Amino acid sequence: MELNEYDVDATELLETYDFLMKYIIIGEAGTGKSCLLHHFTHNAFKDHSQHTIGVEFSSRTVKLGEKRIKLQLWDTAGQERFRSVTRSYYRGAAGVILVYDITNRATFLNLSKWLADARTLASPHLVAVLVGNKSDRDEDREVEWSEASRWAAENGVHFLEASSLTGDNVEAPFLLAARSILLSIESGVLDPEKAGSGVSYGDRALRRVTSSSHLSFGSFGSLSGTRRRRSDKFQLRNWMPSGKCC
Amino acid sequence: MSLAVSPTTPTQHAISSTPAARNPITLRLRKILGTTFTDPATTEALQTLSQIYSTPSASVATQTQNADQNAHDDDDGWSDLDSEGTTPREGPSGHVDVPNETASRARKNLQQDLENKLAEGSQQFLKAFGEVDQKLDDLQNIVVEMRQHCDEAETQLKLTEEASRSLLEQAESLRYERQQVETQKSIVLSFLDRFTLNDDEIEAITSREMSLVPRFFSAMNKTERIRSECRVLMSGEDGPTKAGMDVMATTFSYLEQGYDKIHRWLTFEFRRIGRESQLEVTSVMCEAIRRLSERPELLSDTLTFLAEARQSTLLALFLDALTRGGPSGLPRPIELHAHDPIRYVGDMVAWVHQAIAAECEFLESLFGLSGQTRMVGAVRTFNGSDEEEWVKDLLDSSVVKLCVPLKVRVLQTVRAQESSILSYKVANLLQYYMLTMQRTIGDHSLLSQTLQEMTDVSYKVFFDSIEAQGRALHRIPLDLNDPSVSPPHSIIDHAQLLREIMQVYDSSLLSEGSSDPSEASVGFRSILDVMVDPAVTMCAAAAEEKARLRPRWDRAVFVLNCLGYLENVLEPFSFTEGKRKEMREIVDERVRLLEDEHYEGILKDASLSDVIRTLKTRDPATPLSRLPATEPEALAKALSKFSLWLSTPDVISSPRLFPLSSSLLAGQVHHGALRRLVHAYSALCEEVRAESARGKYVAGSVVLGRERPFGQVELLRQIVGLEDES
Repeated sequence: MELNEYDVDATELLETYDFLMKYIIIGEAGTGKSCLLHHFTHNAFKDHSQHTIGVEFSSRTVKLGEKRIKLQLWDTAGQERFRSVTRSYYRGAAGVILVYDITNRATFLNLSKWLADARTLASPHLVAVLVGNKSDRDEDREVEWSEASRWAAENGVHFLEASSLTGDNVEAPFLLAARSILLSIESGVLDPEKAGSGVSYGDRALRRVTSSSHLSFGSFGSLSGTRRRRSDKFQLRNWMPSGKCC
Repeated sequence: MSLAVSPTTPTQHAISSTPAARNPITLRLRKILGTTFTDPATTEALQTLSQIYSTPSASVATQTQNADQNAHDDDDGWSDLDSEGTTPREGPSGHVDVPNETASRARKNLQQDLENKLAEGSQQFLKAFGEVDQKLDDLQNIVVEMRQHCDEAETQLKLTEEASRSLLEQAESLRYERQQVETQKSIVLSFLDRFTLNDDEIEAITSREMSLVPRFFSAMNKTERIRSECRVLMSGEDGPTKAGMDVMATTFSYLEQGYDKIHRWLTFEFRRIGRESQLEVTSVMCEAIRRLSERPELLSDTLTFLAEARQSTLLALFLDALTRGGPSGLPRPIELHAHDPIRYVGDMVAWVHQAIAAECEFLESLFGLSGQTRMVGAVRTFNGSDEEEWVKDLLDSSVVKLCVPLKVRVLQTVRAQESSILSYKVANLLQYYMLTMQRTIGDHSLLSQTLQEMTDVSYKVFFDSIEAQGRALHRIPLDLNDPSVSPPHSIIDHAQLLREIMQVYDSSLLSEGSSDPSEASVGFRSILDVMVDPAVTMCAAAAEEKARLRPRWDRAVFVLNCLGYLENVLEPFSFTEGKRKEMREIVDERVRLLEDEHYEGILKDASLSDVIRTLKTRDPATPLSRLPATEPEALAKALSKFSLWLSTPDVISSPRLFPLSSSLLAGQVHHGALRRLVHAYSALCEEVRAESARGKYVAGSVVLGRERPFGQVELLRQIVGLEDES
């Protein structure tokens, strides 16, 4: 009957979320950024991929512990000629997925420039994850894992290798970045309340805290908003492993 | 007798033997007979008895006898026994002392007594029976009475039955009616249940409480169902019934109230969420929208609120991003980079683009279209469904208010550009976004139109700028005192700009989209026309001007150098092919001119110009030997000079053509001139020989063969290096 439709929690079908985060995916042309993203959002390898023109947008909701996080993903073109366009999209990103091709050393050499670019244009608290793509082609490897790992450690970014062909480790960079961002929120470095931080609260987080007063006629002024959201932080701390003291 | 064997079983005996009445007597008799009266008690009793009977007092004896008789009266046949047992009583007792007459008297008395007793007993019987009879009479009376009563009762009963039959029938019919009414009631109840809303549902629909709960939606569902079913029923043969009409009327009002409630709720929600920067859709909202789409006028009304709220929210956010930046100024406000037009414009448009992406996601999930994931770059395909129309319209209207501030800023930036290359870049950028937006939100949206307008303006600014540059070229005269024939600075600068523009175009954001190279060249053709044509005309005109004042200055080489330079600039870019073809024609024309000039020059240098001119211009009737330039002596002199010239390095490469920047072109011109020289020489030789043969030219062959090339065209070819082209 119709009633059953509502009994099952339809909100689960709908993409409600606790946090919304903006990511950019950058790196030299041909490193497989779009394929990585495609695998992440569609769970399938993207055949015959063309060069990205400018930027492309997609989104996906992931679950991290108890939290549902909606990711707004901006896939950028790696080609130099689009640099002026793509750089405009760095603004206000909370996370960056920095991709290089392990079978092409040239794509690894410029990483510092990419990272510096992202950090200046986006936010200084930008969470970066370095992804060595095409890990399925180990026989053509030109960049050693250890070397990339060292570079990542020196530059304070997370690192892992993935394959957008096999789907190996494809979700990990996005989740890793999300986890770091949550930690930043928890430690107070990032404030999802502020516009332009690249993170914002979803309705789900609010609803959970204020289920009863949700529809009260009182205005949703910023004061009540902050109060609610403070309490949410405590919730966050509960599940976060090794919660730092703020 | 067999009976004697079993005296202890008198009952059995009594049942089996026919003379049952006598048997107990027999038994008694035997018992008495068998009794020994020797025991003291009996003896004493007998003695007492004999004493009584021996005395004359008969009364006493009779009384005793009576008593005795009475005592034995219970025993059956005592009298018989008594009478018969006289002998045995006498026998065993042996009382012979009792006189006979006493005994008979006693017997008589006894008989009398017995008779008296019998009579008395009969009388008692009579009396008792009389009583019984009386009682029976009473009983009968009672019975009769009872009977009477019973009859009465029966009559009564009959009457009652008669009377109650109608009642029963009535009851029966009433029961039947009740049953029917029950059935009707259940039908009505189920009808009501099916065709009306219960109080809870009505309350859910009509209550002023704002929230939309599942109960509300199910009540709405039910109302809808009722209406559709009712409609089916009413479309039956009987036509609309009153109940049907009533049901329709009430449900209609509830339905409208329900829709009104959804409308109120959505309006409230939209006003509330419209202020949030990031939007999220709840399932209730989705459901509400889905339902309200049944009432497009209400939906559009409530969506107006959403659009308004979003418009002002996005505008505020945009202005924030422009002037305030992110939290604590990071990322920096966009306007901080206003000095960098590309970045400034790019950031602004990118911001709008990103806002649209988020907005689009919100709207699509609001209308339940989020199933299909689409990369933003991909072209949006519209199925033409209502929802998509709504999304499109809302998306369009949400960003409407961004258009003005965006346009003001972009146009200001564009107009402020002095560098045409920058304005070209901006124009390119805007065009890229225009195409992106057209794919995302369609051509007709205000934002697309604004972008189109901004693109047009920036292109216009760019074209104005390069046209001005082209006009400026004309205003810069060539330096009259500069003897060089290389392209002037103005041309070099102009070409440099052209090169940059072409580089921008080559790496253009759009060229990827149009894979067809001819399309690419078409797109750039107008720019080339504006850039190249003034340069070409300027070269020609300025060179003309300078050549007029400085006749010695090599105009043709200068023009060719300039054109060649421009050609070189165009060369690396495939999309300039059309223009280059055009240029090639101009160059070829110029080359022909130069070749002419050069030929003339060579003839002059080789001292053959007079001869050749004479040869060409002479009247055929006049023999060559009669003409001053070709008379044998002069011809010989000229040919000797020609021979000398042939030995100079000028034959291989002309010093005149040295300044020509393209050595290839120089060679080409030189060879062309030499070829014509060879032709001219060959013609000369032929003419002279022909006249000599006719005898009109004395020693023609001698004159020709005196010096190199001895009148041999082939030799001349070898000397000038044209032997391959014989």
